Amino acid sequence: MGARRFVVGCWGIGWILQVWAGVCLAQDGDGRAFFEAKVRPLLIDRCQKCHGAEQAKSGLRLDSRAGMEAGGESGPAVVPGKPQESLLIEAVRQTGSLRMPPKERLSEAEIEVLERWVEQGAVWPGEVGEAGGRVASAGTLDEAELAERARHWSFRPIEPVEVPAVRDEQWPTNAIDRFLLAAMEAAGVRPAGPADRRTLIRRLTFDLIGLPPTVAEVEAFVNDGRPDAYERLVDRLLASPHYGERWGRHWLDLVRYAETAGHEFDYEIPLAWRYRDYVVRALNEDLPYDRFVREHLAGDLDPAPRRDQVTGRNESILGTGFLWLGEGVHSPVDLREEQVRRLDNQIDVVGKAFLGLTLACARCHDHKFDPIRQADYAALAGYFKSTRQQYAFLDRETAGRETLRSLRDELVEVAWEGWRSDWARAGGGTGAGGSAGDGVVVFEDFEGGTLEPWHASGEAFESPAEATVRVGADALVVVPAGVAHSARISERLSGVLRSPTFTIEQNYIQYRVAGRGGRIQLIIEGFEKIRDPLYGGLAIRVDHGDAMVTVVQDVRPWRGRRAYIELADGAVADFTGETTRLVGGDGFVGLDAVWFTNDAAAVGGGEGLPVRYPLEGLGGEGAALLSRFREAETALGEPTLGLAAVDGTGEDEHVLIRGNPRTPGPAVARRFLSVFDVREGDGADGWSARGRGEDSGVAGSRRWELAEAMMDVRHPLPARVVVNRLWQHHFGRGLVATPDDLGRMGEPPSHPELLDWLAAELIGSGWSLKSVHRRIVTSSAYRMASQGDPSADERDPGNRLWHRRELRRLEAEALRDALLAISGRLEAVLGGPSVPPHLTESMEGFGRPAVSGPLDGAGRRSLYINVRRNFLPPFWVVFDYPLPVTCMGRRHVSNVPAQALTLLNDPFVREQAERWARRARTEAGESAEATIEWMYQTAFARLPSAVERMAARAFLGEEPNEADWADLAHALVNVKEFLFIP
Amino acid sequence: MHCRRYRTLPQTRREWLRQSAHGFGAVALTTLMAEGALPAPSRGAGAMGPHHSARARSVIFLYMDGGPSQVDTFDPKPRLDREHGQPIRMKTPPTQFNNVGTVLRSPWRFRRWGQSGIPVSELFPHVARCVDDLALIRSMTAPFSEHTQANYFLHTGSGLQGRPSHGAWVGYGLGSENRDLPGFVVLNGGLIPPGGVDCFGSGFLPAAYQGSVFRSSESPVENLRPGPGQDRMRELVRRLDEEGLGRLGRQDALEAAISNYELAARMQTSIPALLELDGESRATKALYGLDHADPATRIYGRQCLLARRLVERGVRFVEVLCPRVDADRWDQHSDLKTGHENNARATDQPIAALLTDLKARGLLDTTLVVWAGEFGRTPMAQGSDGRDHNPYGFTIWLAGGGVRGGTIYGATDEYGYYAVENPVTVYDLHATMLHLLGIDHKRLTVRFGGRDMRLTDVHGEVIRSILA
Repeated sequence: MGARRFVVGCWGIGWILQVWAGVCLAQDGDGRAFFEAKVRPLLIDRCQKCHGAEQAKSGLRLDSRAGMEAGGESGPAVVPGKPQESLLIEAVRQTGSLRMPPKERLSEAEIEVLERWVEQGAVWPGEVGEAGGRVASAGTLDEAELAERARHWSFRPIEPVEVPAVRDEQWPTNAIDRFLLAAMEAAGVRPAGPADRRTLIRRLTFDLIGLPPTVAEVEAFVNDGRPDAYERLVDRLLASPHYGERWGRHWLDLVRYAETAGHEFDYEIPLAWRYRDYVVRALNEDLPYDRFVREHLAGDLDPAPRRDQVTGRNESILGTGFLWLGEGVHSPVDLREEQVRRLDNQIDVVGKAFLGLTLACARCHDHKFDPIRQADYAALAGYFKSTRQQYAFLDRETAGRETLRSLRDELVEVAWEGWRSDWARAGGGTGAGGSAGDGVVVFEDFEGGTLEPWHASGEAFESPAEATVRVGADALVVVPAGVAHSARISERLSGVLRSPTFTIEQNYIQYRVAGRGGRIQLIIEGFEKIRDPLYGGLAIRVDHGDAMVTVVQDVRPWRGRRAYIELADGAVADFTGETTRLVGGDGFVGLDAVWFTNDAAAVGGGEGLPVRYPLEGLGGEGAALLSRFREAETALGEPTLGLAAVDGTGEDEHVLIRGNPRTPGPAVARRFLSVFDVREGDGADGWSARGRGEDSGVAGSRRWELAEAMMDVRHPLPARVVVNRLWQHHFGRGLVATPDDLGRMGEPPSHPELLDWLAAELIGSGWSLKSVHRRIVTSSAYRMASQGDPSADERDPGNRLWHRRELRRLEAEALRDALLAISGRLEAVLGGPSVPPHLTESMEGFGRPAVSGPLDGAGRRSLYINVRRNFLPPFWVVFDYPLPVTCMGRRHVSNVPAQALTLLNDPFVREQAERWARRARTEAGESAEATIEWMYQTAFARLPSAVERMAARAFLGEEPNEADWADLAHALVNVKEFLFIP
Repeated sequence: MHCRRYRTLPQTRREWLRQSAHGFGAVALTTLMAEGALPAPSRGAGAMGPHHSARARSVIFLYMDGGPSQVDTFDPKPRLDREHGQPIRMKTPPTQFNNVGTVLRSPWRFRRWGQSGIPVSELFPHVARCVDDLALIRSMTAPFSEHTQANYFLHTGSGLQGRPSHGAWVGYGLGSENRDLPGFVVLNGGLIPPGGVDCFGSGFLPAAYQGSVFRSSESPVENLRPGPGQDRMRELVRRLDEEGLGRLGRQDALEAAISNYELAARMQTSIPALLELDGESRATKALYGLDHADPATRIYGRQCLLARRLVERGVRFVEVLCPRVDADRWDQHSDLKTGHENNARATDQPIAALLTDLKARGLLDTTLVVWAGEFGRTPMAQGSDGRDHNPYGFTIWLAGGGVRGGTIYGATDEYGYYAVENPVTVYDLHATMLHLLGIDHKRLTVRFGGRDMRLTDVHGEVIRSILA
């Protein structure tokens, strides 16, 4: 099929001129591709709505070959090889009494597709003759087909490659150049000459740290006579802390980084920025990439987590934060559906970002092109379904807790020596017990002397094995055994206790609780954005004090759902207000028992009154101890929290027929992609490895195993994917032009050997990204000029061979940062909470922040501007900042008039231009000539040409005032060379 | 087809320029095209090109934010009168607020109008007079009973953020007929729908296709108004860029970015000219309600008039958002009477004026007007006097541009809860809109994430019964 060309132009705010190619089908040997491209979509579109998994009208299913052959009430639908005898063809031809589809006749072309397909034997890839009633949309990818698909280039092992010989031995600096040059020589194309040093330092500085070089840096490099001047420059920039900011921003595109959840009210994702800072630190430290990915998948399970050298905080766990940066639906009517959607997004991001695979395609059916089964999808989904969101405690265990514990013991000893007998006199219990009537299930009573199998985070929850006395605000209070309590040591400690996952089988959950400022949350199908309408009742504030009372929660709407209980003293997010906030950790919460009941009547007995000893009037040693205790409490400080994963109960996910949570198929045991097993010959197959479903019994999510499997060096995708990304950001286009899809639907690599050579280098260097950067930027290829040899331009017009440097347009963030840098406004501080975005008039709608941030973002780099899903700054959007919806490894580079309007009229640009002009006149001295020179040096890393000098002088006139200078500055940032880096 | 294989050809705009024009690249080219010396590549030949002859050239999408009630507007249900105050006698699904009351009769009377005799409630006395131009779909359905997802779905065919809006798809498919205005304009009357401006985004299509939201204020578009001395600055930039082309090479991206400044300058004139209503007659202004006592009617009237002016200028897709009224958007969870009356008062006369005016100017034939909310409302009360969301059966209408007026398509059950006859999906609506514009919805695709994506995903059937 020949490619058709169309030209589109002049559209939208756009007026892009772009050429699109048409569609061409792959060559087809055995009819499989024809089936996938033509027949299957047609059947799905036009037939299966009535004759498929959801309904089988007249007993007929057209979603499997077997179903077709079995036929319906009128008999078999197809006779392979014989269209004239096939009812299917008769029906769509509408020549007889059976006329299908009922509403709209198929086009002639569509009918011919079906005829041809039947004629050629009705090939149905992977069909193994199962009956029409079985899961027809799943499991069609058989071993042979899987193995066939696994022969696709990106699944093959990374083999050692030979560096090719070249004729021109002078040009290459390293192996990269030899790979490129060999291809160029084969095509009769000569590489461009080297770029001059000014161009080079500007290019390299933007590429590595995302900022322009300063005048002093440029001059130092230009005048550096040492033979390794360039290598020194590379080393300096790779060691710059701004390197992590620059490449961290590239990374954030892959994980759809945002700090709000979007949807109707655009709720905050509190502390999302800690993930952003984690990425920056990891890149700056050159954390081995395999470990970086492992931490993303399972940093919370790392047996020896990395800790920050200064603060001692857990770094590894922060990697898992990316799982929770997606869009979050507000009050979904069906929580299971929302969970399935969330898992889909997580798997989509994991697949594309780390593996360059479109795994999420296999949610509803086996992947159409790549060796990924629907069962593989379910197997992966299980890992994330068994994973919960938490605000993790990052600090090392504090010494403060032990101090408080011993002070407490001393204080109780001195002040209330006889507490045990006082308590025994009062009954010595919690007043629980209650009536174990019909249908009352004790879910938990903590009588086993342990919090297990509940999972505690933070420092607040202590063993419930023995009764202890706690130091309350105005009294010492006995905390009986068998109570999960967050203030046995101090109210200042915070923590969260999470139950195992269970199925809601009864109408009510009853909690016997005490607390001040505490919270109980019922997390159903992983849904944590609890608020009205619908879900308000899932969060219970516990604020009545030390008395044990029974609280009844109506869970009738969620019978049959999977859920867990969070008992929180701080460290959870509250969604009930206008925006999200973290609940503070002061106060306490104590849980005596949890019952499931069918009746609403409380089973927890009467009010359990606390046994107390008032602190008022405490004197002598007791008073001194109390005041030391209070001082130690004050000294505790606030815990450092971070958004992270925490393991839940292990749960396998079901294959969802047609992706629909209401039609679950079998559960699949958690495992990595079966294609890699097949390749290694152990023959495991996704369908025989049945999962055990909701009670899989395998403790925890086992994500650590997933991380190990995924980053196994024998597995070729992660290394290929990441070196391709590095290449892309240095050269403007990846060796594989579709960086998030290395599957069959992606582009094939232009230089496959080079890609593998780089991947092997990465692995060989211990997964050091910086060493790959160094290889790339020290190549001759990287250092070429952007003006190519005319004959080379002729032979390689699209620069597919990289015979010259590709001109690069700065991204939105780099452009904004460059403006701040030249104006002198840049605050080069690293990390921390984000700066609120400046709100323009057009940023309106629900969830608009109450307060606008400063116009210049307080001078902080763009990386640190709060990313609000529903309120992305227009400046960014105009310059193609991607919507944070899924992995976006390649941004558009569009050309729209709004870009011109922004650079001409945006108040931020004007403000920075004015600032830059003032700075120029201060730094360059009085002479207009020197000022112009300095401006060219800061903006373009070069001196102005004679023509440019004259033009600037003419523009300024004889007696330029401040506004004239600002206009000149403003004009210069509109010159294309400011935005396009040669 | 959603999984076809294709490969882009390494053809650059520059090569195209070289083939079709001589001289100074992009700027000259756009000038030539503007003067009609060259066939503009965008005229009727977008990414995919029209697949068949078009009935409509433009779309005006009147988005009824919040979900107007079908049983109070275009779908009368006598059973509600009979059973008013009684529990509904059918199985009902969970609703958004789950505060289900008894059957609630409509506070408004219905009357038959026009030759078609289609009943319209007294909420819409003006639109009722145009009923012979309307094709009512009484069996509309949506898959979400929650605003944001339903909004994304109505606009993009997906319940989540990130897909291109219908207007972006149309632009991608057909290109624009006007070089000085955006091809997809959203007239913001004051209410940005839940889900925000991503309802109008370009998703994985280039930013060029995203909807331009025009505010109803003095400066409708950000950064449009030129600062002092801009002409001088622009001239300097032009000279320096010319110098730069010598330094950096005449590369596509560079030349395209330079030509952008010319286009931006034209926008700075064309948009204010568009908004300047002095040339409109007093009668026209009165027709649209620009002198109405209710400020919301005046705002919406102005939006509708602007919609006509945009369509006149060849803009492909205009979406009109609702104004703020003295009540919530059409989302009457309580006090249905006041809320719906205020929303109806703001929109009724302007919409009728738009239809009348388009018709008088001969534009209705080529302009498809769509009136739709993201869902309808429940036949039983929420609380005592409101209605909850109902995505299972509600009414929308289409008019003009190849639509057969005076028709009713589909039906809901006796309560007006579920679509029971010829249920229509948003995919079907989109397929029909594209069909009328000359686009086969199955062939308008773009590759993203390993798939050829469509506005209608793998669904959608053209609703042929309402076509003229």
